[in-house]
Amino acid sequence: MIQVQDVVRNYHAGETVVRALKGVSLEIADGEFISIAGPSGSGKTTLLNLIGCIDALDGGEITIDGTRVSQMDKRAKTEFRRHNLGFIFQTYNLIPVLTAYENVSFVLSILSLPEKEIEERTMRILREVGLEGMEHRRPDRLSGGQQQRIAIARALVKNPKIVLADEPTANLDSKTGEEILKLMKQMNEKYHTTFIFSTHDTMVMEYARRLVSLHDGQIESDERR
Amino acid sequence: MKFIISLALKNLSRYRRRTLITAFAIAIGLMMFIVVDSVLIGVEAESMRNLRWYETSSARIMHEEYWEERLLKPLDISVEQPYEIISSLEQIGIPAAPRTTFAADMILYSDDFGEDGNMSVQVTAVDPDLDNTVFRFEETLIEGRFAEAGANELVIGSWFAEDIGAELGYWVTFVTRGRGGFYEAMDMQIVGIVNCPNPNVNRTLLMIPIDVADEYLGMEGTVTEINMAIPERSDISKEVARIAEMLDDSSQRVKVARWDELAQDYVALAETKRGGTSMILFMVFLIAAVGISNTMLMAIYERIRELGMMRALGMSDRAIQLSFMIEAGGIGLIGSITGVLLGVLGNIYMVNVGVDLGFLMRDLDMGYRIQSVMRGAWSPATLVVAFLFGTLLSMLVAYIPTRRALKMDIPSCLRHQ
Repeated sequence: MIQVQDVVRNYHAGETVVRALKGVSLEIADGEFISIAGPSGSGKTTLLNLIGCIDALDGGEITIDGTRVSQMDKRAKTEFRRHNLGFIFQTYNLIPVLTAYENVSFVLSILSLPEKEIEERTMRILREVGLEGMEHRRPDRLSGGQQQRIAIARALVKNPKIVLADEPTANLDSKTGEEILKLMKQMNEKYHTTFIFSTHDTMVMEYARRLVSLHDGQIESDERR
Repeated sequence: MKFIISLALKNLSRYRRRTLITAFAIAIGLMMFIVVDSVLIGVEAESMRNLRWYETSSARIMHEEYWEERLLKPLDISVEQPYEIISSLEQIGIPAAPRTTFAADMILYSDDFGEDGNMSVQVTAVDPDLDNTVFRFEETLIEGRFAEAGANELVIGSWFAEDIGAELGYWVTFVTRGRGGFYEAMDMQIVGIVNCPNPNVNRTLLMIPIDVADEYLGMEGTVTEINMAIPERSDISKEVARIAEMLDDSSQRVKVARWDELAQDYVALAETKRGGTSMILFMVFLIAAVGISNTMLMAIYERIRELGMMRALGMSDRAIQLSFMIEAGGIGLIGSITGVLLGVLGNIYMVNVGVDLGFLMRDLDMGYRIQSVMRGAWSPATLVVAFLFGTLLSMLVAYIPTRRALKMDIPSCLRHQ
């Protein structure tokens, strides 16, 4: 369970203060497939970053499974992310010198798992995202959709509680984007992992079981389907 | 750890051109360091050897009070019964030769030199039979012969002869004050011209037989110095202490000075030059360090997003830092290996062939006792230092830009273009 309580986040651009989130409160249950929607500058990426423990808030509190993550220091947040969170980025952010296999397995290497387990889990997740036989290819020899599949595999391989996806289909054509969404939904159902993704694409919103709309740093609507 | 090393190595090959260019810059810096250091060591060793072989000998015995007054070259403060001391030294296996040095006015005549003239000089009176057992002039004669005992004959340095237009058979007169202060004039005929590896000697040498000087100057068998050839591999300080102890038993008040005490001016100059050269070497390293730092800065800044992703996925700052430092160390390692190899190749040439700077040395006194060819010398310690320094410095200079990049917050890293 993720509890976001009255969260405030301000950014400073010179002398101007940009109020990105103005007291947002939200509860997300385990295993939800939730979309944070809104136009550019509405605060959706900021909210995702705060839940993902990669940004610091200016007010309010975020609790994940009873742990007050917003109170953690830098090292504890790194540790928390390492074990509990997966990330999918709009631009995939794969390491270009590593193969598909290595891009996924390095997440498990960070967890210092035995070599055999790393291999088993990596091959299994690559098979599940449809990249079997491509594990030795580098990102530059794969399509955008295939690269995003590696990113999904990388996010899921450690069995995280939560996967945060920032505009996961924004760089893909609509057909590939839909395939990626189907894959994410399938993984959500299979592993019961909470998926939170930001988007301003209506097709993506269609797939969400819950749609939270942000506008100007505040929740405009929270719709369950 | 395996992943960190593997990532660092893969990034090295990913940016192959950058890796090679930076490694090449490091290699050139290290090669310069090795070669310059080698030449410096070689030139210094050769200068010191040429000082001992042609100027100071390994050590010198003189009257205790002469040391303080040595610049005035007084003849009345001299060593008595020098041949007794020489004989004692020979008994303990140390060749020795007497010399008397004195300041004089040298008069040149228009009959020989084309015009009359005079100049202040320093004349060295040597024992023709013993001098070559201590000094190494035997092979340096380029014209004529050495002066013979009892004859008014003079041997002159080749550059000195060139400068004053002297040739064999020319006559000169030395006017000086003998022991006791009387004025004396000595007519000497040039019978030999020497050219030795020590430019200072070639510029100033005027050598006459010691028995002739003894008679003219009224030395009564005394000499101003006894020079000794202590075997090259011996510990000169220990030998000097041993000789001083031996001479303590005699009735004479003498001092034994090592060659480096006698050549204090050169030693001080060499130390100053060493300081200056260290500065040049430091600059070479600074340039290499700035080069690596700049390369790593670029490498890090173009991978900020990748860095942000790794941090978001839970990789610790320390692990990321280590990965970049290993990468930089890899560049340093390639550069260091290449640099040491190039340095060794350059050194093979410098040690065996060297650089002929004779055209420069003839008219420019750099203080070094090298006449023309500057040769290098092998220094394994320099190779090790260059290798370690190149590798470790590369790692060190990567630390600061990585640290700065890691201070950025993760969302900024992920947004970085």
